[in-house]
Amino acid sequence: MKLYIKNYSSYRSDQEDINIKQVLKQKYKLDTRRQDDFIHLALYGAQLLKEKTVIRADDELYVTSGYGDVDVVQRTNTYVNKEKQPVKLFDFINLLGNTTSYYVAKSLNISGKNIFQISDNFTYINSLISLYASIRNSQKDAILCAIDLASTPTEVSKRVLGVDEDAETVSSVNYQKFSLDAEDAIAEIEFDMKTYSLDEVNTMLAEENRTVLSSIRCMKLQSLKDSKFFETLASYAVNSAMKKNEDMVYIDCFEEKYKILKLKSLR
Amino acid sequence: MAKVNILNYEINCSQGNLQETLEAIKHDRIDKSLKRIQASQEDVEIPYYLFKEEIKQDQKSIYEAIRNLLVKIIPAIEESKRSSTALIIGTSLVDWHLVDAINASVYENEKTPYTSQKYSIDSYAKELSYEFGLNDFTMTINTACTSSANALLEASNMIDIGLFEYAIVIGVEIFSPIMSSGFYAMDLIANSVAKPFDLDRDGLVLGEAIAGILLGKEDTVWSLEGGFSNCNSHTITSVSQSGDECVEVMQKALKNSRVEAKEITALKTHATGSHSNDLAELNAISKVFESSLTFTALKPYVGHTIGASGVLEIALLMAAVDDGFIPKTYFCEKPILPEYRPIAEHKKCKEGIFMCNYFGFGGNNISMIIKKEIS
Repeated sequence: MKLYIKNYSSYRSDQEDINIKQVLKQKYKLDTRRQDDFIHLALYGAQLLKEKTVIRADDELYVTSGYGDVDVVQRTNTYVNKEKQPVKLFDFINLLGNTTSYYVAKSLNISGKNIFQISDNFTYINSLISLYASIRNSQKDAILCAIDLASTPTEVSKRVLGVDEDAETVSSVNYQKFSLDAEDAIAEIEFDMKTYSLDEVNTMLAEENRTVLSSIRCMKLQSLKDSKFFETLASYAVNSAMKKNEDMVYIDCFEEKYKILKLKSLR
Repeated sequence: MAKVNILNYEINCSQGNLQETLEAIKHDRIDKSLKRIQASQEDVEIPYYLFKEEIKQDQKSIYEAIRNLLVKIIPAIEESKRSSTALIIGTSLVDWHLVDAINASVYENEKTPYTSQKYSIDSYAKELSYEFGLNDFTMTINTACTSSANALLEASNMIDIGLFEYAIVIGVEIFSPIMSSGFYAMDLIANSVAKPFDLDRDGLVLGEAIAGILLGKEDTVWSLEGGFSNCNSHTITSVSQSGDECVEVMQKALKNSRVEAKEITALKTHATGSHSNDLAELNAISKVFESSLTFTALKPYVGHTIGASGVLEIALLMAAVDDGFIPKTYFCEKPILPEYRPIAEHKKCKEGIFMCNYFGFGGNNISMIIKKEIS
């Protein structure tokens, strides 16, 4: 499967310390009331993408995440399960996955398909697969938002991610606009349905000249790894390579099975 | 969108399994319960379509409940083809894995040891795919009331372009104090019964369900001809009263399925019984169809099962048509538009082309077209 990337946007909390809510209000004039940090993060990435590329009303929108909006689950758990209080109205609405994608769609003036989905394994690649199948049928373009919020305490996200207690998790949002059409594309990305064994991956990498990056989940693989973690790191790695006009191979791993993304710069 | 075929389906809801539910519909023996939930000042009892046997709100119980449904669907897939079968769940369930992680991190007395296991709302699908030898590809979609309807469209896209031979789509909704309290806080819960399209309707009745559909390319009598999904609702909780957003999805679903409005045998409406949703849907129906249209609402039989309703209501409609009828709509005595009245008696029907609507929170709206061709 091959998709062309028309443009992208990227934000990581450890690389840029900003008050996102304030930026959304002051710079982008967005109404940020009744929304969580998770929604604000998604909106911020969307505004960065909007500045760089043309977005059409019928573009499809996919939003994916490692575990979704922790803050709203934490609040409602406290009210309802611990304090036996009723859920607050806007917490109830923000609990729904597609609330985030609704606000993103509105801010981008998108009125087409809009999906919020989570895959336990290969979160980013599985979203690319469903997005690819969708636009093969619809012949439209699609935007993928990959988002992870490291809320407080960070122990919550580390526990659901299954990473070490001393791992450092960060917040990040990464968008790409995908198309089946190569015109004006800045990169192409290839992926397949297959999962590989460690031996198969090592054999492939022995002949690989491109930069190879991998998730910290690939503990048995000798390759460059980001020292910090969030589930949709693959999406950040893709954007980071495009920023440098580099070709790249990204390897993700889940329970001893490996998947490979190949990025080729077209600039 | 090209068509895919519907090879198998099964349900578990307040009325029981598929056969038990069909019998309940045919003989007007619908069971409805009361459930105590947390409200602003004090606990209240609300009507609820609950499972006959309670499914507890913990991961193990939920996993077992989904598994029990899955074992009824999987035999339709040859053992050798299971590795080319995707599993997609549609639900608005709160992620109990996340709740456990929160409790273990925030409350000292609930501290548990760290594990290296990754968890998310998709963990049910992932573990089930391992247990039954399905493909590694799993996905859980949360788009509120349209969750499993969206899952059906995503699955059909992937089968259509040959990524998988089969896909199992499961809709899951189990009682949640958070969700029920939220619907109550929004003043959306009916006093007693949901009265779809009735002038005196006063809200919806929630329901529990787990329902599954197997999609593939093998020839069979039922097919998913196509559909359309969008997100352009007027507000985050409702479509505009004109119903224009619903008109768009219905018209585009017809176009994508290469079907004309006059060819629709019957329409399964979303019809929650809430004031704004029913008005919008009926206005939309009147803009797309002639008043002679046969249409019905299934929620008075099983409740509004939110994320599960996409799969559940299609399965129920198919089961009824397989039995030779389209179920009547309960409790619509004073229709909003007199010339557009849902059927008040079961109507004989053995095959045809059917539209299924889902309009939900978070702005997502879907229409799908299914077809039964006996020949």
